[in-house]
This record gives sequence, C-alpha cells and structure tokens, in this order.
Amino acid sequence: MQRTVSSSPLAPSVKVKLINAGFHTAADLVDLLPLQLCQEAGISQEEANEVLQALRHDSRLCQERAAEGCITALELLHCEQSQGSLVTFSSELDAVLGGGVSVGKTTEICGTPGIGKTQLCIQLAVDVQIPVCFGGLGGKAVYIDTEGGFLVQRAAEMARAAAEHCALLAEDTEQRAALEDFTLEKILSNIFLIRCHDYVELLAETYLLPNLLQKCAEVKLVVIDSIAFPFRHDFEDFSQRTRLLNSLAQQLNQLANQQQTAVVLTNQMTTKVSNGQSKLVPALGESWGHAATEKLILHWEEDKRLASLYKSPRQMEATVQYQITGQGFRDASVTLELRPCDPPPSVSYKPHPPSPSASAPAWNCSKRPRVEAQHS
Amino acid sequence: MRCKGVMVILREGICPGLTEEIIKALQAEDIRTVEDLVSSDAEELAQKCSVSYKALVAFRRVLLAQHAAFPVAGLDLYDELLSSTSILSTGNPSVDKLLDSGLYTGEITELAGGPATGKTQLCFSVAVSIAHEHKQNVLYICTNGGMCASRLLQMLQARTVKTDEQTYALQRIQVFQVFDVFSLLSCLQHLRAAGLQSSTVAGGSVKAVIVDSVSAVLSCMLGGKQNEGMSLMMQVAAELKMIAKDFNTAVLVTNHVTRDGRGQLKAGLGQSWSHVPRTRLLLQRVDRPGAPHGLRTATLTKSSRQPCHLMEEFSLSQQSGEALQSGFSGKRKLNTEA
Repeated sequence: MQRTVSSSPLAPSVKVKLINAGFHTAADLVDLLPLQLCQEAGISQEEANEVLQALRHDSRLCQERAAEGCITALELLHCEQSQGSLVTFSSELDAVLGGGVSVGKTTEICGTPGIGKTQLCIQLAVDVQIPVCFGGLGGKAVYIDTEGGFLVQRAAEMARAAAEHCALLAEDTEQRAALEDFTLEKILSNIFLIRCHDYVELLAETYLLPNLLQKCAEVKLVVIDSIAFPFRHDFEDFSQRTRLLNSLAQQLNQLANQQQTAVVLTNQMTTKVSNGQSKLVPALGESWGHAATEKLILHWEEDKRLASLYKSPRQMEATVQYQITGQGFRDASVTLELRPCDPPPSVSYKPHPPSPSASAPAWNCSKRPRVEAQHS
Repeated sequence: MRCKGVMVILREGICPGLTEEIIKALQAEDIRTVEDLVSSDAEELAQKCSVSYKALVAFRRVLLAQHAAFPVAGLDLYDELLSSTSILSTGNPSVDKLLDSGLYTGEITELAGGPATGKTQLCFSVAVSIAHEHKQNVLYICTNGGMCASRLLQMLQARTVKTDEQTYALQRIQVFQVFDVFSLLSCLQHLRAAGLQSSTVAGGSVKAVIVDSVSAVLSCMLGGKQNEGMSLMMQVAAELKMIAKDFNTAVLVTNHVTRDGRGQLKAGLGQSWSHVPRTRLLLQRVDRPGAPHGLRTATLTKSSRQPCHLMEEFSLSQQSGEALQSGFSGKRKLNTEA
C-alpha cells in the first residue's frame, strides 16, 4: 500500500501535523485508535476521528476498485451500446449527435437569446419519457431552472404532440399498453422542476443531486437552464468564478458518468473582440469550454436556425438546420446538407439493443431522402 | 522513494543498533529526524547524550547510505536506453513527425489545446495504435468523461475488418474513470504499487499510461490563497514521472491552454507544471475560411530532440482513412500506419 498521507483528501493543516509526526503513508495510520492519533500528532480528537474515517473510506474505495478490476474498453463499449440515447425529435440533429444526446455524458447547448435553447431542453425533458418499446429511455427528468424560463404550457404542448406521435406509431399490444402511461398528465408529473435563484443555490443543488438520483434511478436527464445566468452576475473575483465553475464541471461529469444520466446545460453567448473583429463565443470564459463533453451551438444564418456540433469525442463536426414548431423542436422541412451517420459495419458487438437509428427516422413525419453530401 | 523535503523521523528498526534508549537520548538533545542526526556534530553529540561516538558514526553511515541517491554510470544508462526504450507510433503520421517518430517510453508527453482541438481524439488514436499495432496494454485514465469506446471501435474498424482483432485490441485498453485529484492520486499510487500489473486477458505489458486530462482535476484546486493545489499538482507530476521511469512506459497527458500577456496561447497549469512534460504539443483549430471541418494544427512547443515551433496540419475525420479523399489524403492514414 503506497497511499501517502500528503495525497489524501484531508485538511492541509492536519496533513502537515501528521507528516511532522512521522506518518507518511496511510498504512501507518489506519490501525491507530483516535486517541493515540490525537496524542501522537497533536491534533484534536475530532480531527483524529475525521482523519481515520477519511482514510478508511479511501482504502475501502480502493479495495472495491481492485476487486472489480478496472474496466476494459470492450466492457465499456457494451455499456455504451446498451444505454441508448436521448432523441431530439429532429432526425437530422440526432444523426449529427450519433443517435441523440448521449446518456452518461454532459452536453452543453449554447446560443443567442430566442434561438431555442430552452425549447430544446423542454423537448428533451419530454422525449426522455418515451417508453422503451418505442425506442425511448422511459425515464424521468430533473429540470433546474435558473432563469425562470421554463414554460409549462410549452411543455404541455410538446407532451401532447409527443403522445399523439407515439399513438400513430403504435403497432402491437405492448406499445398500446405503454401508451396508457404516456399521457400529458404523466409526462408533466415526471418532470421535476427546481428553481435556483443564484449560484449558491445552484451549487448546493448539484451537491444534492447524486443523492436524489440514487433514490430515483429513473431520472435519465438533468437539465440546467442556464448555467451562465447565475455566474454572469455578482462576481468580482473572476478566478474564484473559474474555480467554482471548474469544480462544478467535474461534479456534473461525475454525476453523468456514475448515475448514467444525460446532463444538458445551456449557456449564453458573449461578444469577443480579437484582431479588431468581434464575434460571438460561448460565455463563461475559455476554460469553461472544456467543461462539457459535447457542445452544440445554435445560431442564426439569415432567417434559418442552425445547430452546429462543435465538440464531441465521438462525432464529427457538422451543421444542420432545424425549426421550432407548435409541437416542439423539429427538422427543417428544407433539407440541408447533411452527413448521415454511417451505419456501423456488420460487427457482432450489439446483443439486441433498441436500435436508435431504426427508431429515429420514425419521429420525422415528413420523411425525406437523405442526401449523401460532404459538408464544407 | 520519498518526496524531497519529507523528514524521516528516527524510529527503532530503521537502522541496526538504533535502540529505543538511544532514540530517547537523542530526542532529549532535539535530534528527531535523520536529517538532524546526519547534520549534527557526532563528537559533541556523543558527549551530550552519552552514546558511543563509534555507534553514532556507524548510524550516520548506514542512514546516509539508505537515504542517498544511487549513482549510475552514463554508459550503463546509455546501454539501458538502447535496450529498453521503445518509440510508440501515435497513429497519426503528422504528429509522429513532430515527436520524432512517436511517443518515447520513460517520458511524459503533453498535448495542450483549447476545447475541441483534438486532444482526446489523439489520445484515442494513441491507445488504439498501441493496442492494435504494437499488441501492448494501455492504461487510459479519463478525468473529464470524454472516454467513448464506440469511437475507439470506429478507429479500429478503419484499421482492421477482423472482429476478433478489434475485440483483443479493446481488451488491451483498460479504462479508469476518476473525477477528482484525490481519486487520481489514489489510482496512480495503486497502479504503481501493483507494478502496473492488472489482470489482463490479452497478456503483454503496459506500454503507455494516458491521462486525459490533468487540468480538469487540477485547475479547480489552483489559485486563490491556498497552495494546497500546487502541492497536489506536484504530487501528480511526481507519480507520473515515477510511472514513466520505473516501468519504462510512455506517459501522455492532456492540458488546457491559457493566454499570456500578449494574447499568445500557452499551456495551462502555470510555470511549475510547464517543466513536467519532456515534450509538448500545442493543438489548434484551423479557422481560415474554406478550411474543412476537423482540420487541426499541431505545433511542437517543447522538445529535446527536434527544433521547436515545427508545425503540421492533420485532420480528425470520422472515418479516419476514407473520408480524407477530398484533398487531404496523406494527413492521417490510420489504416496503413504501423
């Protein structure tokens, strides 16, 4: 056991005392009684208790990790393939995202006001509840609203549209049975709205989320709309803001990974002047750019709404057009250049997952031929 | 293998003949650590604590021998270098060119770059290249949730159509997901204690350790009034160096970027970290109008083998080999590069 005291999650002042008293590794400490430790190291009994608890917890975690063994990429692949993804109701955008918003990862949606960030979030909160037999996730959504932009009447419209859409698709008895639980009332009651007024409330909420999600495993989507608003005001110390945001980012990444939920964040845009030219870039600074695993930028081009995938570990950058209708987030009726997601070659990795690619086109009522095109 | 500056307390058993009584006698004279003992005047001490002068000199000799670094002749080092260093292809010809044919074992190489500049994609490429072409094991420590096995599979599919080869390669890549610096240190220390050996189906030894990214876990600890973060950062550095040297593996880390006073990009985590990697590549997006998606540049900003500021363009295309036919062939031939 090589675990050193200096690298353990303990208070710095306590660490110094322990090291000065000659305790260098966790192995030196774990067998001591709290009373012995507080005498030998000159710390209070309370501190001694905390130290021993922290170290024992740490070594238990390590043993667990050693017992499971680390996970190979092959095992990870099986996990990823059994997860499915969260459709957006725009088949073109789903193709760009590789089947939809990733479960188990964080996705940031950036855009100017009125471009449809909140609309997309509400759409996702509805879509996450699509029953499994329709190729959905059959989950619930936690919606953290910091701007007060959540409109329940829009959620109701989208929920009604989604339910009607599924009703049209229902073919067998299983699907018809599932539809009885996929109604407007059920959908709305499975969206848990949390209103946070400032960054302290938001940070506190993210600390509580892992517990909430452990109790309620059906939550497959956490939306924070928006992350930018509470952090763009009331901050004088910018380096403190950066640190808080960085640790928030790590927490959300961990949450997404460990609870296997999709985490969707929205962010505002800000103007940046470089070389005499101003351009719109996502807010919250450059280091926040690393925070989310995937990043989607929504922007206008003349009167068209476009969605560009800017950052993703699995998909190429691409841009598609979309529109926002009364029913929600949809493909633009005009087909834009699109690189279709290449179908996976015949590899026998997939056991029998609900194939997202098979169900995705069905969401689009107006099927159009996919154009094989290279984006420029 | 103690960190520099850590005091070693005199204790029974660390040196033959150093009994409890002698330690008590020494402590009475305020001699508590090895450092105190070896730097004290033996003659004076012998009189003060009535311990024999001979014994004190003997302790001193043993303790110095125990705690001193061991000198190695340059020729031996050179022989060892020739026999044990391997150069591992990154799977990306342009990057290999900058790195003087690939990642060297026993060293830390860093990829620095802003968001979406291809750091993670290059890490994937390295992992796939080592697992598939070299048939060796890779430890992949992911700290930012960016690990994506389906992309690894995609890269493998571009190299081989044989399903069993893809399966073997994926089994050689072991993934650890940690999200804070304490878990990272715990993970590294356990790997080192276990000699990087973990139960692998495929056999072979670990040739590379990839940490993507170090800055994700460190940047929230740095700055402000506390210097705890700095200490943790240097502990991460020390662990990585030991892993690189002791097990003769290539260590690849990724880092964020910041801007200096003149708006120039530089690698993140500050001055002290900048000395840690032996070789550093700066990755950037190509923003010129008309440039195709996925085009990136890599610039060598620190190297002991090649002149700095060498620059190469490469493309991160989805299907690795095939999609490059539109004018960018040759930049990244994943399926042919050995």
